[in-house]
Amino acid sequence: MSANQRLNLREKYQKFTRDLAWEPSYQKKSDIFPQTDFEGIHIHDWDKWEDPFRLTVDAYWKYQAEKEKKLYSIIDAFAQNNGQLNVTDARYINALKLFLTGVSPLEYAAHRGFAMAGRQFGGVGPQVSCQMQSIDELRHVQTQIHTISHYNKYFNGFHDWQHMHDRVWYLSVPKSFFDDAMSAGPFEFVTAISFSFEYVLTNLLFMPFMSGAAFNGDMATVTFGFSAQSDESRHMTLGLEVIKFMLEQDERNVPIVQKWIDKWFWRGYRLLALVSMMMDYMLPKRVMSWKEAWEMYFEQNGGALFEDLARYGIRMPKYWEVTVKEKERLSHEVWSTFYNYDHAAAFHSWVPDEAEMQWLTTKYPHTFDQYYRPRFEHWQSQTDKGERWYNNTLPMLCQTCQIPMVFTEPDDPTTTCYRSSDYKGEKYHFCSDGCKDIFDDEPEKYVQAWLPVHQIYQGNCGGASVPEVLEWYHLRDGEDNKDYLYSQDRANWLKWKGLTEEAERTLKAVVNG
Amino acid sequence: MTYELSIEPVGERLEVDEEQTLLDAALRNGLYLPHACCHGLCGTCKVQVVEGEVDHGDASPFALMDFEREEGLALACCARPLSDVVIEADIEEEPDALIQPVQDFDGTVVELVDLSPTAKGVFIELDRDLEFQAGKYINLHVPEVALPRAFSLANAPGEKRVIELNIRLVPGGEATSYIHQSLKVGDRLKLSGPYGRFFVRKSAPENLIFFAGGTGLSSPKSMILDLLESGDPRRITLVYGARNRAELYYHDLFTDLAAKHDNFTYIPALSEPAPDDDWDGDVGFVHDVARKRFDGMFAGHKAYLCGPPPMIDACLTTLMRGRLFERDIYMEKFITAADASQGNRRSPLFKSL
Repeated sequence: MSANQRLNLREKYQKFTRDLAWEPSYQKKSDIFPQTDFEGIHIHDWDKWEDPFRLTVDAYWKYQAEKEKKLYSIIDAFAQNNGQLNVTDARYINALKLFLTGVSPLEYAAHRGFAMAGRQFGGVGPQVSCQMQSIDELRHVQTQIHTISHYNKYFNGFHDWQHMHDRVWYLSVPKSFFDDAMSAGPFEFVTAISFSFEYVLTNLLFMPFMSGAAFNGDMATVTFGFSAQSDESRHMTLGLEVIKFMLEQDERNVPIVQKWIDKWFWRGYRLLALVSMMMDYMLPKRVMSWKEAWEMYFEQNGGALFEDLARYGIRMPKYWEVTVKEKERLSHEVWSTFYNYDHAAAFHSWVPDEAEMQWLTTKYPHTFDQYYRPRFEHWQSQTDKGERWYNNTLPMLCQTCQIPMVFTEPDDPTTTCYRSSDYKGEKYHFCSDGCKDIFDDEPEKYVQAWLPVHQIYQGNCGGASVPEVLEWYHLRDGEDNKDYLYSQDRANWLKWKGLTEEAERTLKAVVNG
Repeated sequence: MTYELSIEPVGERLEVDEEQTLLDAALRNGLYLPHACCHGLCGTCKVQVVEGEVDHGDASPFALMDFEREEGLALACCARPLSDVVIEADIEEEPDALIQPVQDFDGTVVELVDLSPTAKGVFIELDRDLEFQAGKYINLHVPEVALPRAFSLANAPGEKRVIELNIRLVPGGEATSYIHQSLKVGDRLKLSGPYGRFFVRKSAPENLIFFAGGTGLSSPKSMILDLLESGDPRRITLVYGARNRAELYYHDLFTDLAAKHDNFTYIPALSEPAPDDDWDGDVGFVHDVARKRFDGMFAGHKAYLCGPPPMIDACLTTLMRGRLFERDIYMEKFITAADASQGNRRSPLFKSL
């Protein structure tokens, strides 16, 4: 072996990671890493952490720079060629509005969260993994802001996404999800985000979004999605590694990890309710149904993972069987809710047309015609009379997931599921047993939840009327909100594309297949 | 026609014939690449082709998917060079692995022994010495059978000239049927070896537990004989399972070894002892018997597993529940064509299990 032979991957990784660490001599480790113990996780040997990617920081910059170069050349080309005009239908943009206002701020939150977790872990392996992920997430949010910036020139609802993220009622669902994770300890944070969300559930977020974009002609989104996804396999591996590491380090960690998996599976699943309606209602050209996606990505792939985890004494996440019972109704219940409250949302809703309802009938043979089609037909008849219906009574929210209490009993899709807990003389309400259990385990955390409806009623949101609240949200009444049928977005779209209403109907039918 | 094969990250350069697979070329030069089935079914030998072109040969579309081919991945066991090739492989340095180039051998069958109603001991005298590390296997070319079959070497590595294979009759199996029904003393056979990555981590200080089921005994037998012959002082336990007494071959050999060596414990287990077996040993499956004997706690050991897939699977769960994990568990994986086509549900949680 010659002296200047280049280092192999393993040696290089060692030099750039483990070899950068040192044993502190004039400060105690527990003072340097004060958050490692309080969650109850016992770590005996940080060197047992294995990073299977062995990505060193010099290679990291090289890969990422290449990705950025490719991505921005495509985004530029998209903008120059008015790529937004090539999407299937302007209704598609509403899926983007939901994703970009709901998820992009979470990418930024992830950037912060992984920086904090990396700072708190006592071992150099996870420090480096978390640091790289933190930088990845910053890259992701930046690319998504570029996309927001482009679409904001042509469509409503994007203009003040950061402000909205802190205020708008349904955006409190993703926001509170991430705040919950970030205000936990470093081990729970990584279990929540890297394992439960990035590993177990991420395919259900990215697949419909990415394939949805591809199916609907949105190449800018497809490209940033691919670019982000190339980082995801590393993030998913971090999720798996942290779980294995905790489970192997000490037997006492097993029940704690199980509790976190239970909690964050359910929190993530409830968040994905927004994705379910995106898949079934918001994509003019549909990829697959929520039910099919849940079966493929959770029941099959997740099942295989939990079969392997069983060797550590970990079982399937609590209430997973409820998710299976809910798969035939989730998207319909959520879309109906947004149809009710669209006058207070930053995107448009609509009643699916007949061809789209036919698709839903085919995909949901046991539920759609029985429970949901009559509802949509009724709403359509109201609209036909010029009386598009909006619900002006504010809904009760779940104290944990912050979604309106619209979900139904696991064994009865016609009865709303109500659960409640009493804590220090107050009653708290929940959409499900899963959300109730999470509250009951840490009530002091969730009594502090900033619930949009409570805040409106307490006079903290600009006033008691819808226009006042919209103003406080920075939403423009009649532009950003309400039914797609009457929207500026639609009027512009017909004008730009030179479409008559008749041609629009034909095109929708063609797109729908 | 030959090409140059460069293997990163170790920077090894070697010649490869256009008819030869990349894996074969690497192994024949004493360079270990991860591999298992050698027929393009399991995907263990996946490598990145950094430069040059390869023919993917019989790589299964399940083991090497289309998008992976587009990304320049290849299965080393099937890929043949179409030009000079540079590959990058995940090569882990193993201080205990002996580098022994794979070679071709000719030999003569010198003895055939009925070890049990289903297992035959085949002793082959080679024309020259075979240096091998205990736990390795050879590929045996069985007359009238197209592809060679893998069999673990059951003799201790001190015996280099007469090798021993323990071969179970697989119902309907082409090669094993031939061996059981047609092979005779005096027959000439061709084989190549040694192959594999199953060997004792002699530099590791931990005590050892071997789990063997059926003809999976071959490698543990070779390993244990080697350890005891070299006077290794660590505690060595063999948990060896068979259905009934007639299937529990080499029982007397291990009973004698246990009597002679204080540091060796032999735990035979029968899952379904026959009424006339007169068995007073442990009854049950290997993993259950081991759990009872070790009081459910395996931490601090190195475990070596060899046996049928259901036995391996049950042992893994038992070991992990007993706080022994992937980095301390070693096993020999034989993947048959039938196993690979079953599309087994595996998550990426474990790398080597």
